Formats: sequence, C-alpha cells, structure tokens
Amino acid sequence: MNKAYEASNPGGPHAAVTAQTGAPVLAAKGVHITLGGRKILQDIDLTIGEGEFVCVVGASGCGKTTLLRLLAGLYQPSEGSIRYRDKEMLKPRQDVAIIFQDYGKALLPWRTARGNVALALEAIGAPRATRDARIEELLAKVGLPGEADKYPNQMSGGMQQRLQIARSLAQNPSVLLMDEPFGALDAMTRQGLQDEVLSIARSTGATSFFVTHDLEEAIYLGDRVVGLLANPGRVAITLDVKLPRPRDQLTTREDPEFLRLRRELFDFIKKAEA
Amino acid sequence: MKPSRIAWFFASLLVACGFVMLWQYLSDARLVSPVFLPGPDRAWAALVRGITQGELGARWLGTIERMIYGWLLASFAGIVIGAFIGSSERARAYVGPMLELIRPLPASAVVPLAISLLGLSEAMVLTVIGFGALWPMLLSTVHGFAAVEPRLYEVSRALGLPQWKVILKIALPSSMPDIVAGMRLALTVSLILTVIGEMLASREGLGSHILISARSFRSADLFAGVILLGVTGYVSAMALTLAESRLLRWRESH
Amino acid sequence: MSGFATYDARGVVIPVGLIVLAEVAARVSGLQSDSLAAPSDVVVAGVEALLDGSMLIATYQTLGSALIGLSIGFGIGLALGVLLGMFRVLDHLLEVTIEAIRPIPSVALIPISLLVFGFGYRMEIAVVAFATLWPALILSRAAIAGVEPRLFEVARALQFGLLARIVKIVIPAALPRVFVALRLGIGISLIVGVTVEISANVIGVGHETMLAGQSLRPALMLAYLVWIGILGWGVNAAMLLAQKHLFGPAANMEARL
Repeated sequence: MNKAYEASNPGGPHAAVTAQTGAPVLAAKGVHITLGGRKILQDIDLTIGEGEFVCVVGASGCGKTTLLRLLAGLYQPSEGSIRYRDKEMLKPRQDVAIIFQDYGKALLPWRTARGNVALALEAIGAPRATRDARIEELLAKVGLPGEADKYPNQMSGGMQQRLQIARSLAQNPSVLLMDEPFGALDAMTRQGLQDEVLSIARSTGATSFFVTHDLEEAIYLGDRVVGLLANPGRVAITLDVKLPRPRDQLTTREDPEFLRLRRELFDFIKKAEA
Repeated sequence: MKPSRIAWFFASLLVACGFVMLWQYLSDARLVSPVFLPGPDRAWAALVRGITQGELGARWLGTIERMIYGWLLASFAGIVIGAFIGSSERARAYVGPMLELIRPLPASAVVPLAISLLGLSEAMVLTVIGFGALWPMLLSTVHGFAAVEPRLYEVSRALGLPQWKVILKIALPSSMPDIVAGMRLALTVSLILTVIGEMLASREGLGSHILISARSFRSADLFAGVILLGVTGYVSAMALTLAESRLLRWRESH
Repeated sequence: MSGFATYDARGVVIPVGLIVLAEVAARVSGLQSDSLAAPSDVVVAGVEALLDGSMLIATYQTLGSALIGLSIGFGIGLALGVLLGMFRVLDHLLEVTIEAIRPIPSVALIPISLLVFGFGYRMEIAVVAFATLWPALILSRAAIAGVEPRLFEVARALQFGLLARIVKIVIPAALPRVFVALRLGIGISLIVGVTVEISANVIGVGHETMLAGQSLRPALMLAYLVWIGILGWGVNAAMLLAQKHLFGPAANMEARL
C-alpha cells in the first residue's frame, strides 16, 4: 500500500471493509492470484454489502477483470478466499450473474433473443410453461420488447448488450457482476444503458459490482468507487459516493459533489501514472 | 427469386439445351463413334427402358441405399468421436497428429485390405464407405468442437449448466457449420466409394451396372447409369444445401 | 488443421503403441493370415519391393498419370474459372450446364474412359483430368470474383487491354487462392489416380496393392497401403511448405470444396 494514496482517502483506504448498506454479500479476504507465473492481484480485501453498487476503476492491466472473475468463481485465488454470504466461492453460482464486455462472443449466435434468454431459464430449470411469459417480461424490462425473434447478428451492439442483461436477469441473480459492459458502445447508447442498469439494480435489489475504465461512469453509477493500481494489482483508493438517488444524467453530473469526486479520482490516477 | 435471376436461369437452360443438341449432332454425324458416345436420344431411351422394363431402378435404389447407410454410419461415428476428441485438449494432443497423418490417404486404398478381410461382400462395401466417409466427418467435427468460443464455456459455467447440457446446447450447435460441411463432403465421398465398392464386389447397383455395360460395349446403358449417378450426386447435394440453410439460418444477417 | 498442436511428443504415443501392440500380437499368436501381417514383415516386404524397383515403377506410373491428368484438368479448369470469373454473363449462361455435369462422381467416368482408351495411362489421365477440373474451376472463379474491384478501376484508368488486365491484375491478385486450389487439386489427383488403379486399371501403386491382396501376400499389400499413405502425406506436406514459402500467411485461409 502506498501511503500517499491512503492520505487522499480520509475514510481509511479499504479499512472500511463493511459497507454502509447492509450485511456482506461478497467478500474477498487477503486474495492473491498468480496467472501464468505473473502476479496479477495482491492482497485484495474487499467487502460488498447487500444491495450495494460498487464500481472498480483502474488502468488496463491492473487486474479489474481478474478481480471480477474471482468474485464470479471463474478463477480461484492462489491465496486467501472469496466468500459469498457465508460460503466459500469455489465455483460459479446461478444467483451470481455475469455480464461480459464482449456481448458478441457471450451470446449464442444460433439462438434468437428469446432463445438466448431461454438458455438461462433452462439452466435454472424454470418450469417450461412459464418460460415464454418470463422471457417477454425480461425483454420488455431491458427495452427489447418485440425483438424476441431476432438473432444477435441482426441487432446493434447496444441491443445485444441489453439482451445479455436480460439473460443474466433470468437467473434471478442476487449479485450482478459487470465487466466493462458498455466499453464498446457509443456515448448515447452508453448513457441510456447506465440508467437502465441503475433502475434494474434498484427494482431487483441486486448487489452490483461494475468494472469500468471510465471514471465518470463509475461515480455516476456507484455507491462506492474502488481504484486499483497495476503491477501487481492492488486496491489503492476507495471513495464513498454520497450522491442522491435516483441519479440523473444532467443534474447528477452537475452536482458539486460529483465534480469534487471526479477531481479527486482524476488526481489519483494522475499521481498514480506519474 | 428475382425476375432477373429467373431470366438468367432460362437463358442458361437454353445454353445447356444447345449443348445437348450439339451432342446429338456429334453422334448423328458419326463424328464420334457410337460405340463410345451414344446420342442423348439413345441414352435417354436406355434410361427409360432400364427403369420401366429392366433392373436399372432397383440398381439405382441399391446404390442410394448403400450410400445413405454408409454416410449415416460415418456421420454418427464421426460426430461422436469428433466431439470427444475436439472438446478435450489432451485427446487432441494424442490423436491429432495421427489423424493428420491418415487424412491424405486415399480411402480407396483400404479396399484391397477390406476385400481380403471381408471378401467381396455387402459388409465389405459398407465398411469401405463408412471408413472413407468417416474422415471428413471426424476432422471437421474435431475442428468445430475445438473452435467453440471460450467465452461461451464461461457463460455456461456462470449459468451452472451441467456438462452434458454444455455439449448439447453450446458446443454442438456452435460446431454445426463445420459438422454440416463435413457431412456434405462425406456424402460425396460415400457416393464415390459406393460406386467403387459395387464395381469391385459386383453388388447390385449403378457401379456394377456401368462397368458391365462398358465391358459389353453397351454405351447407351453406360450413359444411362452415369446420368443417374449425376442425378444422385445433384439431388443429395441439393438436399444438404437445403438442410444447411435451415439449420444455419442464424448465420445470415440483414 | 488449426485445431492440432503441430509438434507434440504425445502425438507419437498412440501410433507407436499400436504398431508395437500389433507386432507383439502377431508374434505371440504366431499369426498366419491371408489378410494381416506383423509390422516387421510389412517393413521387410516394403523394403524388398523398393529395392527390386517394382514399387518405384508403380509409383512413377501413379504420380505420372496423376500429374499429367492434373495439368490437363487444372489447366482447363483454371482457364474456364478465369473466364467465368471475369465475365459474369458467361458465368450465368453456363450455370445450368456446369451444375449438371459437376455432380457426376468422377469414378463414374472410369467405365467410359475404359471403353474409350482401354487400360493404361490414358484412361487414368482422363479420369484424373475430369476430377481436378472442378475444384480448379470453382476456386479460381471465386478467386477472380474476389479480386478487389478497385483494381479493375485502376486497370481501366491505365487503359490496359484484356491480356494486360489478366496478366498484370487478375492473376497476381488471385494467385494465393489459386495456389490453394492447386494444392487441393494435387491431393485429389493422387486420390483419384489410386482409386482408378484399384477399381480398374492395371498400372500403378493401386493396382499393385490389389494384386498383392489377390495373390495372398498380406505383408506386401500392407506395405503398399502404407506407401500410398506416405505418398499422400508427403505430397500434401510439400505443397503446404511451398504455399507457406511462396505466399506466407496470405494463403493461410483454407478453401473448402
């Protein structure tokens, strides 16, 4: 841990492990991971509370995605442990959904939108009779009503990402893990989807973990923003975002607190790069 | 179909008719000896006579039956074995180089071995067809399974799909383009090996029909058989194209 | 094929294991068979056939007919493919004719060829030529059709004549894919050549294999089978190497028939 960054964070770095919002849902304790002989993450302690929205920022190569995969149970830590509620996370769980950045690869190209959502329902063994209604409901919820019979390659990038969100919601997740989900989308589509995700998180009460390299996006979405530093990846800054909800693309981004947090985060990144 | 496409089709049909007329002229004018080249009229007459009065229809059916049996056998075995090899990196490392080594071997080269093991029997013919058609099937299935997008395996892990469902719902449909391509090639190989098997083992079929016709200088019967083989090849390829466009509808985009 | 690691010691385990197993099984059981032989006997028979020249003569016959047939078939196919690729009208007009002849399995030509030419080189060459014409036609037509249209505009701007257009633009642009077609064609010519020899002709390695089987010499028959495999593999490997040296990664796309 670098002292300089701790100083910029009056609440203590990640000492405030337990979030303000509720009981811990996901927790990384003393996690190290080495992949291909390279130390990717070192000494990660992070606790995400019930219903909390945590965003992770950092330069590329700082291990954000690896951290998400650890929380998802796709990777196992070399040291330390990942816990989901009170159980150790040894493999992926159906109530922890992942939304990948590369929607083009994560959707089944041979299935229609309906079929892609159905995959998750088949996985959790939802009764056949209720599936169609559920699919319609989910597609409407993510803003894709009437697109059920389209194949992914007939949809725009934004629509495909919406579809991936619908599929993850079909799992009835209590946690949503999102890996730079809007990184490949244009600015307008991005803002629309940010609000979509916020409203989904609110209506389902899902705990959210959101990886991005866009600092403003992190502040706009999060209750808490965690900044990582690279080589090896480690938590360097934690900011609590006390902006009122529901958030709004115009007023929230003009809020003095938003600007202050943005400044703080930018300074942190600048110092880290220096 | 667009009107221009239909117009082109008829134009090219006319051209084809022109070629048939040229063929008729060549044989009528005796520019090529009728021993070698019967006119289309005689070939057609032999075809009709063979089917209505002779054994040609039964032989044709025999050929089709063998081709399809051998092809189905090879397709089934190829998909099952190919899926196993393709989805395991370790299996690929052990078996892959051997497959690559055997791949360029002409399937017909095993005919003498098959004859010496099984005699000039129906089983020999089917074995040769199945063996020959297995390779294209196997190699393309292996390729398809090895090329499944790794992200989709992560998606299935995240969804908690059990292994057999991953194969059924993810790997198999994802490999379908390769599998269909393999089945198409396997069908062509099946027809070729069926004809050879019939020629060598004198089984009731088009292969023996054309060989015997050639030996007894009945060129009209020979051409009738060749025409039927062409029709068989054409129809089977068409059927697969149709199946392919239905199975792989998702590949077309706007 | 891309799915396989190229050099990996694990790949040797199964073939070597199978050969050893066959040898042991043959020795232990004291194999006396008209159709199978111990691997060591196969090697001995193969070396003998190589040394007395019979295998080399047969190889020469097979490769000779395959190559001549390929030159004729590929030449015609390439010429037609370039023509049809450059002049779409011609392509449209010949569509039905081509689609009617192409599905005829090449082996159906064996009896016709036998009737016309009798046994020997010519009948084999004719069948090989017919078989190799189609991939050459289809793939070179596709290669030409795939030439960047901008290049044709360049050619027009430079006021090239037809010949100059073909020689300076079309052929160089389409060459890598045409070479892929040639590689496939060589493989097909060998396969078809051997097939003709097995099913009818009286020359070449295919015929020798058949003969050895009929005269109940399984070791020799299997030696020829292995030899045919080596020929097929060697030709394919040589062409792959040539393709890599001539065109580098540009030709790495695999064209399907």
